[in-house]
Amino acid sequence: MVKFYQDLSISHKQIVWAWVFLAVPLIFYVTIRFYPTANAIILSFQSWNLLGPRTWAGMENYIKLWNDPVFWKVFRNTFVYLLIGTPVSLVISFTIAFHLDKLRFMHGLIRALYFLPFMTSAVAMAWVWRWFYQPVPIGLFNNFLASFGISQIAFLNSTTNALPSILAPAVWAGLGFQIIIFMAGLRAIPQTYYEAARIDGVSGWTILTEITLPLLKPTIVFLVVLSSIGFLRIFDQVYNMTLLDPGGPLNSTKPLVLMIYDTAFNAFDMGYAAAQTVVLFTVLLIVSLVQLRILRDR
Amino acid sequence: MATLSLRNLVKTYGDTQVLHGINLEIGSGEFVVLVGPSGCGKSTTLRMIAGLEEITAGEVHIAGRVVNNLEPKDRDIAMVFQNYAIYPHMSVRKNIGFGLRTAKISAKDKLGRLEEVAEILGLGELLDRKPSQLSGGQRQRVAIGRAMVRNPAAFLFDEPLSNLDAQLRTQMRLEIKKLHQRVGNTIVFVTHDQVEAMTMADRIVIMKDGHIQQVGSPLDVFYNPANMFVAQFIGAPSMNLMPGVWSNGAVSLDKGGLVPATGVKIRQGASVVLGLRPDDLRVTQEAGLFTGTVEVTEPLGSETLVHVSAGGQEIIAKAAGKHPPVLGSSVHLTASPDALHLFDKNTGEALL
Repeated sequence: MVKFYQDLSISHKQIVWAWVFLAVPLIFYVTIRFYPTANAIILSFQSWNLLGPRTWAGMENYIKLWNDPVFWKVFRNTFVYLLIGTPVSLVISFTIAFHLDKLRFMHGLIRALYFLPFMTSAVAMAWVWRWFYQPVPIGLFNNFLASFGISQIAFLNSTTNALPSILAPAVWAGLGFQIIIFMAGLRAIPQTYYEAARIDGVSGWTILTEITLPLLKPTIVFLVVLSSIGFLRIFDQVYNMTLLDPGGPLNSTKPLVLMIYDTAFNAFDMGYAAAQTVVLFTVLLIVSLVQLRILRDR
Repeated sequence: MATLSLRNLVKTYGDTQVLHGINLEIGSGEFVVLVGPSGCGKSTTLRMIAGLEEITAGEVHIAGRVVNNLEPKDRDIAMVFQNYAIYPHMSVRKNIGFGLRTAKISAKDKLGRLEEVAEILGLGELLDRKPSQLSGGQRQRVAIGRAMVRNPAAFLFDEPLSNLDAQLRTQMRLEIKKLHQRVGNTIVFVTHDQVEAMTMADRIVIMKDGHIQQVGSPLDVFYNPANMFVAQFIGAPSMNLMPGVWSNGAVSLDKGGLVPATGVKIRQGASVVLGLRPDDLRVTQEAGLFTGTVEVTEPLGSETLVHVSAGGQEIIAKAAGKHPPVLGSSVHLTASPDALHLFDKNTGEALL
């Protein structure tokens, strides 16, 4: 064996070592990622209550899903999270990053403050926000409104207000990360581009829209994809803020992941949950690919 | 076209003063090169003219008006940057046109100017390309085009050739010089390369540590350097400098040797530094100023640099390209008396 190894050429030895090192993550990924994924896809064509035998069900789960009004409601909710959450969070984080980049005063501290929510546990955060949203005399927001004589707002108890109310802390929590990435992107733009523009005398708006944003495109693509995946998989904020009736009221805040959780661990309908997972996976894949396609160079 | 003048220009960053009162008058249509080692303040001076750096004290006049408190765009100047500052996401056309964004002329006139500039710079074919599809020299021309299209009173170049390879640099040097002869704008050009300065400038401004050392035509600063720094900075290889003591019309060198130097009014026994350009030293067989052995030869084709060790000091001389002196052989070096430079050892000022 040793003799065999010694007789190999340098490039062959390098290949041997490359495979030795690659084997570790490869085995890890195959057992932890690919095997369960494949298993879930198979499971989506089966019926299983977690204890009994797995029996083949064909397309039954998918047909059931197609005809399930809750699924379509949840599907819509998930896209509302995505379509509001991603642009709003990106616009806010860019605006903050853009101005923070120019600020010298307590720059580090302010940046750290923005990053803090990102490091905080989602559960703790959800509970604090849940408290903010309570009616008088407990909730912070309603108390504040009441002190000006403004009538109360049912944040979490209304089918129309609940979803945006849950989205707000989700957006807020992700800002820190996005700001840091945006600032890194802004720093990477050579200063001479701005100096040249200053000499040309173009307006600040032109500089922003025709120099800064186009040059920031790789950063934007990265954040759009990452934040979209995040909002499509939203779960903890919703679950923890609507704990008494997860996804309520009347499923108005329920995202796809929460429905999967419900189906799997409350109804123990594993096959059906797997079918929903496959749908979520497909949606994530399509959305990411489409975004990469659109946002990449032309 | 416009005159440009700097009056007592001072720049400080906190407690550090980087420019100590720069005075310079630049005539209309003149090509002036600021040259010096890094950190000498040449780029800072240029950026103060452009309005990219605050002026701590003193005045900048462009076309007769004080521009200290004017925004860069109101100073009627254009600048070409070292990294070109052309936008990678815009076509050549848009990049050049960017300089006209705020110009108060009709769209038709803008197009006319753009095409005229593209024509002058030979960019006509490339207008729809992206910068990534251009060579280094072409990008450089786009950057110049962007400056030209605005028809400014003065062009400012901040080390624009540093990013090019040697061959292209020589070519662009010539192109910029031709362009200047053709368009005739006032140009202030910053470089650390003395060859660029010598070849392009009408007048060279040599700077060091925030002070102007000498201002003059290329030949003037070469043949009549004001001090030791200029003498060493201009010309390649550098001037040979040999410390010694002057007395009775001759310099007695510290490391041995006596070189006659007349026509200089200094006290007997003054410490001086003798300067001789390698170009002025001839390798001969007859006895000359110095005698030594050939240590190293550097053939350059048309000529050969000969490093001669003479009494403990190394002297560089130029010899013919063909049949250079043999390594290790004993040679004599001689120079005509008017090639001699003499500097005060303490102040560095030229004495001869």
